[in-house]
Amino acid sequence: MTGAAQPPAPTVAPVLELDGVHVSYDDRPVLTDVTVRLTERRIGVIGPNGSGKSTFARLLNGLVVPGRGTVRVAGLDTAEHPREVRSKVGFVFQNPDNQIVFPIVAEDLAFGVKNLGVPKAAIPGRVADALAEFGIGHLAERQSHLLSGGEKQLVALAAVMVMRPELVVFDEPTTLLDLRNRNLIRDTIGRMAQAAVVVTHDLDLLDGFDRVLVVHEGRVACDADPATAVAWYREHCS
Amino acid sequence: MNLSLYVRGNTPLHRLPASVKFGVLFASGIALFLTDRVLVLGPAAAVGAGLLLSVRPPATALRRQLTGLLITLAVIFAAAALFEGVHTAFVVLFRLLALLLLALAVTFSTRAADLLEFFERLTAPLARLGVANPAKISLGVSLVLRFVPEVHRGYLEIREAQAARGLRANPAALVVPLIVRTLKSADAIADAIDARCYPPPHPTGRETTP
Repeated sequence: MTGAAQPPAPTVAPVLELDGVHVSYDDRPVLTDVTVRLTERRIGVIGPNGSGKSTFARLLNGLVVPGRGTVRVAGLDTAEHPREVRSKVGFVFQNPDNQIVFPIVAEDLAFGVKNLGVPKAAIPGRVADALAEFGIGHLAERQSHLLSGGEKQLVALAAVMVMRPELVVFDEPTTLLDLRNRNLIRDTIGRMAQAAVVVTHDLDLLDGFDRVLVVHEGRVACDADPATAVAWYREHCS
Repeated sequence: MNLSLYVRGNTPLHRLPASVKFGVLFASGIALFLTDRVLVLGPAAAVGAGLLLSVRPPATALRRQLTGLLITLAVIFAAAALFEGVHTAFVVLFRLLALLLLALAVTFSTRAADLLEFFERLTAPLARLGVANPAKISLGVSLVLRFVPEVHRGYLEIREAQAARGLRANPAALVVPLIVRTLKSADAIADAIDARCYPPPHPTGRETTP
C-alpha cells in the first residue's frame, strides 16, 4: 500500500428509501408507485428486459430523478443533493467502455478522486491502493481502449471504489464478461466491505444475498429472500 | 487507432516536468527560426534525434510516426533545392527535422494527463477572466483522446457487420449507424461522468456548474 490508510469499512449500509416513486420517459411509465425501504448489505434486483430494473438502479445515485415521489439515500433526497448522494453511492455501468473516460487507466481512477476535492498530493496513493486492491496495479499506465473486457470491468470497478463510496450499485456487471471474469466480479462483490445493490440477469450471482427485489412491469412485484424471489421470477416471468 | 503517443519509461526526459519540456520546445522553435546556419541547424537536428532515441520509443511507433514525416520533408527538400538552391534546402530540412524530432521526443515522453494539467495551468488566467473554463476544455480533450479509438472501432464493427450481410462499402450506410451509435455512447458517457461527482469542487469553495 502506498497511499493513506484505507478508512474503516462501513459496517452499516446507508438506508435507501423510495417513497411513491414514479418515473416516465416520454409519457411512457417505466416505474409506477415504487415504495421500498432497503437496509441490507447485499440486495439483488432482477426482472425481465424493459421492466425498469436499470431505472431503479439509476434512481439510487440520482442519475434519474423521479417525476413523482422521493428517493432518499442516508436521509439525503437524490433530487436535492445529487452531489452528496453520488459521493456516497458508486455506480458500475454494464458497459465499461462507456464508463472509463480517460485514455490512461491511472488517469481515469484519478478523475473521480479529484472530483471529490481530495488534495492533489493524496491522489496517486489512493489510485495505487485501489489498483492494488483489485490486483491490477500493472495496468496503471496502460491505455484504456486496449484492455480486455474483464480488465476494463475491473478498472471501472476500481474507478468507483477509489472514491470510497458507502454503497455500490452494479447495473448488470457480468453481462459482457466471460466465465472467468464473471467469477472474478462475483467474488469481488462478495468480499466488498461496502453495501451493494446488484441489478442482474445472472441469478447465480445472488447466492448469499440478503434480499432480492423482482421488478416486473414497472413495479416491485416480489420482495423476498433470494430463493423465494428467484422462484417467483421463474414462475411469473419466464 | 491510438491518439496518445506516450511511451512508458523512466528516462531523464520522462522525469522532466511537462512545463519544462514544452517551455524548451517553444524556445527551440523560436531559436531554430532565428538562424539559417547549416552548421547550427544540422547539429540541432542531431540533438533532436538523440533526444528522441533517448526516450526509447518502440521501433513500430517510431516508424509509424516518422515515415510520413520523412516523405513530406523529402518533398519539401527537393522543392526548396529546385527553386531556392541547395543551401536553403538544407536549412529548411534541418530546421523542420530538428523541430519535429524535438516535438516527437516531448510527446513520446509526456503523459496525456501531464500535458492537460500543464495546459490547465497555462490557461488558468482565462478562467479568472471568465473567458473559458480550462478544466472543461481539458476534460473535452481527454474524452477525444479516449473515445476516438472507440469510434474507429465502432466504424470497423459496422463495416464488418455490413460486409457479413453482403453490403458493399457505402458511406451513407456506414455513417448513419455510426452517428447513432456514437450519440448513444455520448449519453452513457455523460451519465458515467455525472456518476463520478463531476465537476470537482471549485478551489474557492464556490459552486461549480456541470
